[in-house]
Amino acid sequence: MSRRTLTGFLAVAAVIATTSTSLAEDKYALIMSSLGSANPFWGAVAQGAVDKGKELGVDVAAVGPPGGETDVAGQIALVEDQIAKGVKGIAISPADTAALVPALEQARARGVAVIFVDKRADMPGTYIGTDNIPAARMGAAHICENVPEGSEVAILQGIITGTTGQHRAQGAREGLEACGMKIVAEQPADWDAAKAQSATENIMTANPNLKAIFSSNDGMALGAVEAVRNAGKLDDMFIVGFDGNPGAAVAIIAGDLEASVAQRPYQMGQIGIESLLALAKGDTIDENIDTGAVLVTKENAEEFK
Amino acid sequence: MAEVSADKTNVSPLLEMRGIMKRFGAITALDHVDLKLYPGEVLGVVGDNGAGKSTLMKVLSGLYTASEGQLVFEGQEITLHSPKDARDVGIEMVYQDLALAGNLPVYENIYLGREPGKTAFGFNFVDQKLSRKMAMEHLNRLHINIKSVDQKVEELSGGQAQAVAIARATAFDARVVIMDEPTAALAIKEVGKVLDLIKRLRDHGTSVILISHRMDDVFFVCDRVMALFHGRNFEEAMIDNTNRNEVIGWIMGTKGHTEALAHDSL
Amino acid sequence: MTHSDAASQDELATPAARRMQFIEKYGVFAVVVLMCLILSALEPDIFPTTLNLTNILRQIAMNALLALGLYIVILTAGIDLSVGSIMALATMLLAMADTSGYFPWPVALLVGPLIGIACGMVNGLGLTVLRLPHPFIMTLGTLYTLRGITNLVSAGRPISGISPEVRFLGSGEIPLPFLGEYASVPVSAFVILICYFGVSYFLRKAAIGRHIVAVGGNPQAARVSGINVDRILLIVYSLSGFFAGLAALLMAGRTGAGFPNAGIGAELDAIAAVIIGGASFFGGRGTVLGVFAGVLVMGLLRNGLNLMDVSAFWQQTFIGMIVVGAVYIDVLRRKAGTAR
Repeated sequence: MSRRTLTGFLAVAAVIATTSTSLAEDKYALIMSSLGSANPFWGAVAQGAVDKGKELGVDVAAVGPPGGETDVAGQIALVEDQIAKGVKGIAISPADTAALVPALEQARARGVAVIFVDKRADMPGTYIGTDNIPAARMGAAHICENVPEGSEVAILQGIITGTTGQHRAQGAREGLEACGMKIVAEQPADWDAAKAQSATENIMTANPNLKAIFSSNDGMALGAVEAVRNAGKLDDMFIVGFDGNPGAAVAIIAGDLEASVAQRPYQMGQIGIESLLALAKGDTIDENIDTGAVLVTKENAEEFK
Repeated sequence: MAEVSADKTNVSPLLEMRGIMKRFGAITALDHVDLKLYPGEVLGVVGDNGAGKSTLMKVLSGLYTASEGQLVFEGQEITLHSPKDARDVGIEMVYQDLALAGNLPVYENIYLGREPGKTAFGFNFVDQKLSRKMAMEHLNRLHINIKSVDQKVEELSGGQAQAVAIARATAFDARVVIMDEPTAALAIKEVGKVLDLIKRLRDHGTSVILISHRMDDVFFVCDRVMALFHGRNFEEAMIDNTNRNEVIGWIMGTKGHTEALAHDSL
Repeated sequence: MTHSDAASQDELATPAARRMQFIEKYGVFAVVVLMCLILSALEPDIFPTTLNLTNILRQIAMNALLALGLYIVILTAGIDLSVGSIMALATMLLAMADTSGYFPWPVALLVGPLIGIACGMVNGLGLTVLRLPHPFIMTLGTLYTLRGITNLVSAGRPISGISPEVRFLGSGEIPLPFLGEYASVPVSAFVILICYFGVSYFLRKAAIGRHIVAVGGNPQAARVSGINVDRILLIVYSLSGFFAGLAALLMAGRTGAGFPNAGIGAELDAIAAVIIGGASFFGGRGTVLGVFAGVLVMGLLRNGLNLMDVSAFWQQTFIGMIVVGAVYIDVLRRKAGTAR
């Protein structure tokens, strides 16, 4: 805190201040529950939101708490500070479903529009994000198209106490049953690659005729790939993941993984800001807005790398 | 040894350590050590490094508990479990590293652990005004000149800090003050002042045990000197009945050195 | 010991050393004022508004309490890494107690601070009874253990619905209508005020408070002065736990919920505030007022960067640099001290 440090601080602050946008534009905030561009998913959401803001002529600040996903206090402070800045609306992915409620209620009490992106808090409001049930069904349908009817298939579930895990498992089950697949196993592997690998080994031991695996995220899908590769069955196993991660895209190009269901984070950011503006103007918007999903296969995997 | 105590037969010792044993695991640091201290005398305790001087003093100041042996104070047997017990009977120690809290002012160091004050709501609150005043009076009594009792100890010179440590040891009518190498870390001009202070304590009737390597110090202030060798009593004498070369011989574990011999060996 | 010695003492207080002492005492306040001026200049329409200033008060409450507890620990040259986890467990248990329906709200109110004291005592006992080599080890252990217990008792889910009475200290507002429509002072600010005054008085006047400072200066000196150093350490870590529990109560009030991720990383902000405020890792140095200034520096920095929409990466970078700077000043002080 010498004089030199302070001048440094002053200089950096001045640069930041000059780069911030003019006061004439209406201000909106996207408050993420992660550091932002540290995570490719949130980087894309933020980009979509900022681009949409430019298109519509409003100032969109995409910010996240300095402590990352678990920094609840930091996120509450962000909400308060954005209110103090005079934003018209806040799109937020709450770091905690309960703890953010008082701060967001206060925002609404002061006439600030609030919507939820990707995750909702325990309070009323519009949710904008991927509806995991139809998205998982899309992945299941891809299995149906490529594996003979009546084949033995397995589902690797995420943490099934959470809604994301439940919905993906439910969508997959519905999709696979609808086309007459024989589901021989549904095992939770808690979003974890190592757990998925051992779960897959056990499933293959019990069901040697297994033909396809639906994994509720890409990490677990890559764990399954390892188990199948070690069993020497990689050529006849059809594996579909979920999330469209760069790692999964590489595995798809290599032919280890057949496909992955990707959310559309960029669209999520765009639709989020669009909806927030509409709500702030006083329009009525739907409780749930599905931003859709896209299937990553060999044809389009390059874009996801 | 008989001639030594002959001078004091009419006075009973203030403090007696009898047959003190101290073992650390397999090592015997003190082996049946006896020590007598008379009222108002300065006793020098000498010995080479590892002879057991410091261990013996730590037993006396309550920091160590003896494995065997008795402590008799004013004719009564006492047991010391902590430095607090020793202080309660009036045995104080000035440690070689002074054991002062450098971040606290002079007056707080003097009364640390024995602050004057009142109890309220189950807490003891320090009367800092009184403490300051008492410290000033006490320092004056000892002719210790320090700019301000509010000065932090870390801002003092080595001699001043030593004086504060001695002031702390004597703040509550100490009967026995043990000093472990009080002049070892001092600049030469400060040594004399500390030795004068020791003499002043004796003049006030306090008995002092002085541990020192410096023969000049021992022969300047001590009334009597005793030597330990390998954890045992080796020899002792009234200071007037011996000379520094003989005492240096005791430290090295030899008796009957002549002036010339000791000189050569040094 | 004589006048000439005292005179030579004066010569040792060189201008450089005196400047150092001045910076040590008032530097952090200058930083606070300067930060306020800079932020007022950069965001004149937002920063100096009553809404924003009271927001800062709300935002620093938790860190202010954690830092106060840590200051007492750091005074003894110790460290308490577990305060964030203590806070999490205390919010969770107090939320459970309050929403269970078995306890009246005054009991639920006490749960947080009592859990805090209990956890702090565990730290203190680990240090003094198990004789673990450094508080870093013990409190790193409890950092993980208490976070784990929090997740076990909550199954990783938040508990909402805390009663208004329990929330009052953390969410209550005293309206100031004459300053504007939304102007108010948070009740938590008064909690902070009382705690800071209390600790300051306790450390300056109570014998135990002085003994804590003495242990920080030289534990050996305290021990030979008849002070039970183990007892002092037990008190110190219990106090740190108590303030973490009180922070938990404020957090529960602010959020209306107990949530398992409460206080993750909070210990680092608190340590940073204490060091910025002029306390020394080597113990025995610092003031309560300085700690408060350190808390303000952290709060102003986060608020200012938020207002300017500075990315979280920069926030981390700034805070990191400031902590290193503050510790470096501590080292310089140390050097100036031993140069004599």
